[in-house]
Amino acid sequence: MSAAAANVRGSQEKGSREPLTSNLPNLILRLLILAVADASAVWLAVSVIGDGNTFLGVMILLTALMLTVVVLIPNLYPFRWMSPALALMILLVLYPFGYTVYIAFTNFSDGHRYTQQEALALLSREQYLPEGEASYAWEIFRDADGAYALWLTGADGTAFFADRAGTFEAVTPNESGDAPFNNDGTPASYNGYTLLTGGERFQALADVQGLQFGDPENPVGIASRNAAGTFRQRWVFDDERDILTDTQNNLPYRVDNQTGDFVAPNGQTAPLGFWVPVGLDNFGRIFSNALISGPLVRVFLWTIAFAFFSVVTSFAAGLAMALVLNKSFLGVRVVRSLLIIPYAIPGMISILIWRGMLNPNVGVIATNMDRLFGWAPPIFTDPGWAKFGVLLVNLWLTYPYFMLICSGALQSIPSSIYEAAEVDGATTRDKFWNLTLPLLLVSVGPLLIASFTYNFNNFLLIEALVGGGPPIVGTSSPPVGHTDNLISYTFRFAFGAGGTRDYGFASAIAIIIFFLVGALTLVQFRITRRLEEIGENV
Amino acid sequence: MSSSTTTTALKGAQTTATAKPKTAGGINIVRWIIIAIALIFALFPVIWIASAAFNPAGSMVSQTLIPQNVDSVDELLVNFNRLFSDPQVPFWRWLFNSIVVAGTSTTLIVLITALSAYAFSRFRFSGRRSLLLSILVIQVFPNILAMVAIYLMLIQIGRYVPLFALNSHGALILVYVGGGMSVNIWLMKGFFDSIPRDIDESAMVDGATSWQTFWYLIFPLVQPILAVVAVLAFVGTLNEFLLARIILSDRENWTLMVGLYNFVQAEFTDDWGVFAAGALVAATPIVLLYLSLQRYIVGGLTVGAVKG
Repeated sequence: MSAAAANVRGSQEKGSREPLTSNLPNLILRLLILAVADASAVWLAVSVIGDGNTFLGVMILLTALMLTVVVLIPNLYPFRWMSPALALMILLVLYPFGYTVYIAFTNFSDGHRYTQQEALALLSREQYLPEGEASYAWEIFRDADGAYALWLTGADGTAFFADRAGTFEAVTPNESGDAPFNNDGTPASYNGYTLLTGGERFQALADVQGLQFGDPENPVGIASRNAAGTFRQRWVFDDERDILTDTQNNLPYRVDNQTGDFVAPNGQTAPLGFWVPVGLDNFGRIFSNALISGPLVRVFLWTIAFAFFSVVTSFAAGLAMALVLNKSFLGVRVVRSLLIIPYAIPGMISILIWRGMLNPNVGVIATNMDRLFGWAPPIFTDPGWAKFGVLLVNLWLTYPYFMLICSGALQSIPSSIYEAAEVDGATTRDKFWNLTLPLLLVSVGPLLIASFTYNFNNFLLIEALVGGGPPIVGTSSPPVGHTDNLISYTFRFAFGAGGTRDYGFASAIAIIIFFLVGALTLVQFRITRRLEEIGENV
Repeated sequence: MSSSTTTTALKGAQTTATAKPKTAGGINIVRWIIIAIALIFALFPVIWIASAAFNPAGSMVSQTLIPQNVDSVDELLVNFNRLFSDPQVPFWRWLFNSIVVAGTSTTLIVLITALSAYAFSRFRFSGRRSLLLSILVIQVFPNILAMVAIYLMLIQIGRYVPLFALNSHGALILVYVGGGMSVNIWLMKGFFDSIPRDIDESAMVDGATSWQTFWYLIFPLVQPILAVVAVLAFVGTLNEFLLARIILSDRENWTLMVGLYNFVQAEFTDDWGVFAAGALVAATPIVLLYLSLQRYIVGGLTVGAVKG
């Protein structure tokens, strides 16, 4: 291949220039499409930046710029072919990677997921009805569609009618609306709305509680059984002093840019914070917080042990089957196809089947072992047995892969070297340990490392088979289990039930995993000499 | 289990006849014992789940290898009927979602990576080598590690482009396609390199543009590698679970794998029969696809991709 590549190298300048056949309509069409695409990209980028996500916006702009340049400059013709792939990789691989690094240095979490402006805007929308200040007596009206409205009477005798569609109008008791009027001068119906009385009134009260009526700028609502009042904005921010005031109790919250919270003098924080860079805090937490770093070390060791034993057991089993099936005999193809079936079943389905079979109470394995030996392994409850179960299922899932790989590799070993060894008096065992295995490892070695890396990140098996359990006693939320590996641990922090949705911390762990996986892959490249091979072939 | 023993017995007799005289008879017996154990280990879960699917009692406690008390064909299909009629389990909907997502992702991956691979294989331009290396390095970072960043990005983009909003198939497809670029570009480039450049050059001499050369000459020639990439991408996206679970929140939008996982949350041991029926219906076509395209898949796997 390298010779062929070298051969061509001399004569290839021809193809890399754009042919001069492109005509005018073609060009105009291309420019039009480009203009539309660029305009949408700029619109999206500006909108995203407006939300405070500068990083993403800039990335979109850069990608659009790259595409534009590539389309406009004829010399960049080859890049035009690659532009869709490059754009996708920039936006969906590079950007998320960069953003993960960025988030890892922030306090991004469920309570701190907005910028300061966004958080203030959201807080300012929160309204409350001040108690004791209510100024109206109320009656509930309802129209044929079930929409509610209020008839409000002030202490001074003035009355207003407010509905949910924005109407807030002055009305006159005993005159506006249709008779009969009740003692307070409220009509039986008004503008298609009918007065509710008795039980209906009582039931409607539950629906109406918290609803806002009248002018959306200055809404009115029911405060208590006999009073209605004007909603007040609960959180008011003073730009100049940087103080957020809770008008309910007049507590001043100062802006804490270190933690991304609004903090009251009594230490209380506002319900919504904002995200700020926190430097190495997340990494510091990983290594210092005893509650977290305790399980983290165990999780880390188990992740390595799991990946290592998975590869060793499934490689050994796969190699054994490949050797057994390496002779040609009738039925060998059928046997091989049947043995591949575990690999062909979608992983999720296989794992759930095993989950059912290993069920400690009614699963087929537990019940039959109990019947035969009076004892069954406590696969899901004992930490050691849970680890054994995970490895057993992974053996089932992956040995066919190594069987396939080893079969191919075995056939590529020339039989002449075995004949030479036999002449020298080598036994079968000698031939396996001194010839077959070393030769096999040369070709299969990189795939062993790739498989190790894959199992290092194996989320599906851990989550679907045992859900990470059994839980490690004494861990805080989210609960961490004995079979959790690094990636499922990360998942629990970011998305798990009962988790904290602590994205910053989860990203910090992801960065650490990335370095570990990167180091492994470097080793793999070293071994395959793939980099050198590229050097020759490119 | 019964099928494996019969094959064992049957084939055992024939092997002795056809085997080379070099191997002793004792070795043959050992080999068949190993094969029998391996077959039982490999196939027992498959047979067990098939038996569960046809077990009318439907719960795990009551399951026997051969379903008991079956009076009619209808009773054998009880679990399937429940699976297809339960409104909480929109099975066909999930299957349809899975096929749409996997099919669209695969088509896009194959087309986009083929274009790039062609350019890398045929054109010489500055930055080519470093770009190829960067693409190789990029694949070190699996996109599940960036799940948080991807999730947050989809929230942000989704506000303005509903097509890629969270809980949409468009978002999932976008993420799959983006993650499927680098490995497959390398896979394809290797194959493109093995096609002689004389073909391109003679076409160019005849006045064909690069595009025409690619589309009418090269594209048909590289179909074996397109098949490999397509099968690996299709099965890979069909089986993907983590990102699908994070991105899709509504039951109606779930893919099959997310839907089947949901059985675990509910009364797994009681719904065992229904789950088994679903597993059987979902797995059978994929297993058949795998077995019939085995040659391609093994070829693709040895180049470097590991089953996802």
